[in-house]
Formats: sequence, C-alpha cells, structure tokens
Amino acid sequence: MRKTWVIILGILLLASLASWAEAAPVNLRILYVNDFHGFAGPIKQIGGQAPVGGVAYLAGAVDRARQQQPSVLLAAGDMIQGNAWANLFKGQSVIDVMNAMKFDAMVVGNHEFNFGPKVLQARIAQADFPILGANVEGLPAIKPYIVKTLNTIKIGIIGVITQDYVKTIPENAAGLKFTTPESALLKYLPELRRQADIIVVLSHCGYPVDRQLAEKVPGIDVIVGGHTHTKILHPEKVGHTIIVQAWEHAKALGILDLEVEGGKIVKFHGVLEQISPATALYNTQVQEILARYEGLADPPLRQAIGETRVDLDATRVRIAETNLGNFIADVMRRTAKADAAIINGGSIKGSIAKGQIEMQDVYTALPYDIYLIALKLTGAQLQEALEHGVSRLGKPSHRFPQVAGLTFTYKPAAPVGSRVQDVTVGGRPLDLRKVYVVATIDYLAAGDDGYTVFADTLKEASLLQNPLVYNDSGTWLRDRVIAAIKAQRVLDVKVDGRIKVVD
Amino acid sequence: MRVYVNDQAVELFPGMQVKHAVMRAGKMAKIAGGLKAFDAWGHELGLDGALVEGMKIYLRHDSKGIQ
Repeated sequence: MRKTWVIILGILLLASLASWAEAAPVNLRILYVNDFHGFAGPIKQIGGQAPVGGVAYLAGAVDRARQQQPSVLLAAGDMIQGNAWANLFKGQSVIDVMNAMKFDAMVVGNHEFNFGPKVLQARIAQADFPILGANVEGLPAIKPYIVKTLNTIKIGIIGVITQDYVKTIPENAAGLKFTTPESALLKYLPELRRQADIIVVLSHCGYPVDRQLAEKVPGIDVIVGGHTHTKILHPEKVGHTIIVQAWEHAKALGILDLEVEGGKIVKFHGVLEQISPATALYNTQVQEILARYEGLADPPLRQAIGETRVDLDATRVRIAETNLGNFIADVMRRTAKADAAIINGGSIKGSIAKGQIEMQDVYTALPYDIYLIALKLTGAQLQEALEHGVSRLGKPSHRFPQVAGLTFTYKPAAPVGSRVQDVTVGGRPLDLRKVYVVATIDYLAAGDDGYTVFADTLKEASLLQNPLVYNDSGTWLRDRVIAAIKAQRVLDVKVDGRIKVVD
Repeated sequence: MRVYVNDQAVELFPGMQVKHAVMRAGKMAKIAGGLKAFDAWGHELGLDGALVEGMKIYLRHDSKGIQ
C-alpha cells in the first residue's frame, strides 16, 4: 500500500514538473534582413559617411548573434536582384551566400520575379531553405508556410507579398495569381495556429501595409517586414502584433528577442545592429563565396560583346547630338516600341572607344541604375519636353536631350520656351494634338532635371487615359543596351542630324 | 500612385520608389545636402524603398543613430 502511494506521489511530482517546464518562459531570437538587392560589398553613404554594409560582415554578425542565443534567420524578400553582383549571375550568387548563412526561410519579394519564372524556379531549387508566399498561386515550389521548432517552441512562419508591383511586368509572373495578403493570412492562419505556438508573418508588403495587417488580422504575433526599406530601430507594436524591418542592402541586422510563456509572447526586445567593416568581423566562408563570384564577374565584364567602327562619343552629350546618345535613344525607342525616345545627356557618362566593346564599357557609359518607361504624350507635351531640354544652353547641361524617332532644330538666341522648331516624328511634322508614345527613363519620368512634363501626364490622365505604356523597373537600361550590342555585333553609329542648331 | 513629400502631394508611376517621390517634389538637392527621408512614424526610409499609396515622406536631419 505504502509503495503504491510513493508511486502515485512520484507521478504527481513528475507531472507538476512537466507542467512547470511547459509554463516556464522560453527565450527565442529572430534574426532578420530584407531588401538586400545583391549589395555584397560595403556601400558608401550619401553625405560622405563611412561605408556600411557588406554581406560577409552581416554573416559575421549573424554568427555572433547565434552564439549568444539559438536563433532563426529570416529574409523578408527582394534578395536576388538589384546590384550587378547579383544581376550578372541572375541571383545565383545571392542564394549561395544565403545557403552558407543557413537562412531558415525567406518570403518571395516582387524583385525575385525580375529574371522571369524559370530563373525564379532555379533559385528556389538552389536554396537550402524554403521560399514562402501564401498569396502566390500557381508555383508549387513556393510554400505558404513552415513550422520551425526552436527551444521547444513551434514557430509558424507564413509569407505574404505585395500584389502591386508584380502587375507592372506581367510577363515575369505569367500563369501566377496573387491574392490579397490579408485573405491569404485569413485562409492559412487557423490551420497554422493549430500547429504552432507563435505566428510570424514574413511580409514583403511594406510597413504601412504591415500595420494594416496587424490591425485587421487577429492572431499574428510578429511581422518581419520588407519592401519599403524601413529602418525600424526598435520594434513597433500595433495591437498585439510586434512589427520589425531592417532597412536595406545588408546595412543592418535585425535582432528580436522574445520571451514566450504558455504559448504567448510575454516580453520582447529588439535592435538593429549596424553592419560596417569598421565594427564587425566577417564570416570567412561568405567572404570566399564573394571572392569566387567577383572572380567569375570579371571575365563577363571584360568579355567582348561587340565592336564599334567609330568612337562612341559621350563627351558632348550635354551640349549636342552624339552618336552614343543616338544609339542609346534608339535602343530605348525600339525596346518600348515607342514613336520617339528622349534621354538626358546627364545620364550618359562615358565614351566607348573604337574597336572591341566590353561589357564594362557600357557600365561606364551608363553607370546609373535607370530603367525604361514609355508614356503617351501629346505633340504639344513632346515639344514642351524638347524645349526644356534646350532651355539651359551656353555650357554643358545635364538636361540636354539625346533623342530617337524624332528630329528638331533649335535657335539658341530665341527666348527659353520658344527655341524649338521644325519637329518631326517618324519623318512627319509634329502634330501638337496627336498622341505619341515617348520612351524615357524613370528619373525623367519622375521630373528629374526639371523634366516635369512626363509626370504631369498623370494629372491629365482624363485626357490621355492611362498614360503609361511601358514600365520595366526590373531591367536596367544598360542591360538593354548590352543586349542590343550583342545582337547587332558591329556598330557604325553616326550623328545623323536629329538635333540641329539654327541661327 | 499618390504619395506626399513634406505634405506636398506628388503623382508617380507604379513601381517608383522613395527617390522618385523626392525627385518629383523637386527636393533631391536636400538629400545631397544631408537630409534623410522618414515615414509618418519617424522611421528612416532607404531611397530605393517601395512606395505605398498615400504614404507620407518627410525630409529632415537624422537625430537618432542606429541602435
């Protein structure tokens, strides 16, 4: 009898210890990055401050954070496209680094679609970690969620992506359907909650949307966000949901420490750790991958992609028509299937000498990450753009236009706003009331160099009904020019009288 | 898409970023001069950051460092 009581007491004691253990607080750490965009090396900041970032230093910081506390490492999208280090290898270099860093999960970002669906599938297959997107339908390799166990706590991680941007380049997302992030969360969260103790939403929707999701969708413990490149120094709390985001370009590592008790987060603390060569040690394995890909990048950059029989001149692009300006504008017009094209001389920075053309020559000629846009303009608006282009004469001017598909003359002595004469488009005189499709670059479409006429079309949308005809924010103009040189092989581009000065 | 830079409304094309909004508002010189972009909640924004309809961007000096 006495023996039986001892056994019963023992069982009760064990049961109480087990329930105590279950209720005891457990510490978790979430490490996170977003919007890396392939910025592998440290970056100089505007304003001349010391360089920040560098993915090998980021990996070093991850190593130290993991040594302090077992962690999950998450990426909130837009990792594989952007900087040349990523683009030259269509994101393969980035996934190699992410595998070495042992990421636990990533949500697909809108720029993950920039290389097209086949490349995205190859990157997903290459990744040692799951790539999530609960509101992406039609690509089975993208999973809605995963459950990860850390320190006995089951973490449900679900991914959602903005619907907006993928729509701008529909061919890159052909066959895919994007539901709203909110509806996808409402669909999957009940089943995920049954499998997990806490819920983490990995969101590539942008901080304002993350706040709305926190308000509208019950049961989200943490949102790890991206897309808006928001530098949230310390976690925000909206309702019961903690929201974090870690800036951009590997310039910061987000560290969120959670204390979980009885399936609830009872305490949290978070910081962004700045990544800088001056303050961090690097991860040698990641550094080796960087060096390997830099070695691989060098040959393509020095590879001959074509030949030019004449010097391609960028020295005069800010004062006159040049053959390099003509070639670039021609590529823009053809790519966008536009009637005409205008680029400012200030965007063209380097001449290309007669002989072999190497890829790096085009990087020098077009150093900015600018992309192609085409808009509907009336003839009057096109004339206004040209007038603006020749409004600052007498010294080199960034705004001086290089054009395609049109010709015009201008009279420097005439007052600003009435210098342009004899405009033709497609060989015919400009009709001020006719609507033309005009290709330009994103900077000018946003009003840079004073070219306000392009963005003003949005104010007059009732007149022109959806002025936007072409918009590929995922392909830099220089890559279009490189493709055109490769296709044409031998260039013999002349100044052909598109822009003439008259007395 | 309409966003606001220092409370000035600017219209932009889809896919454009914080830098385009600042350009459209004619304030890139202020960035070159050392001002930074912040959202309505006081968080700094990268110039390559995506825009969300109705977003408010403010240009000011950075009073807080990281951490």
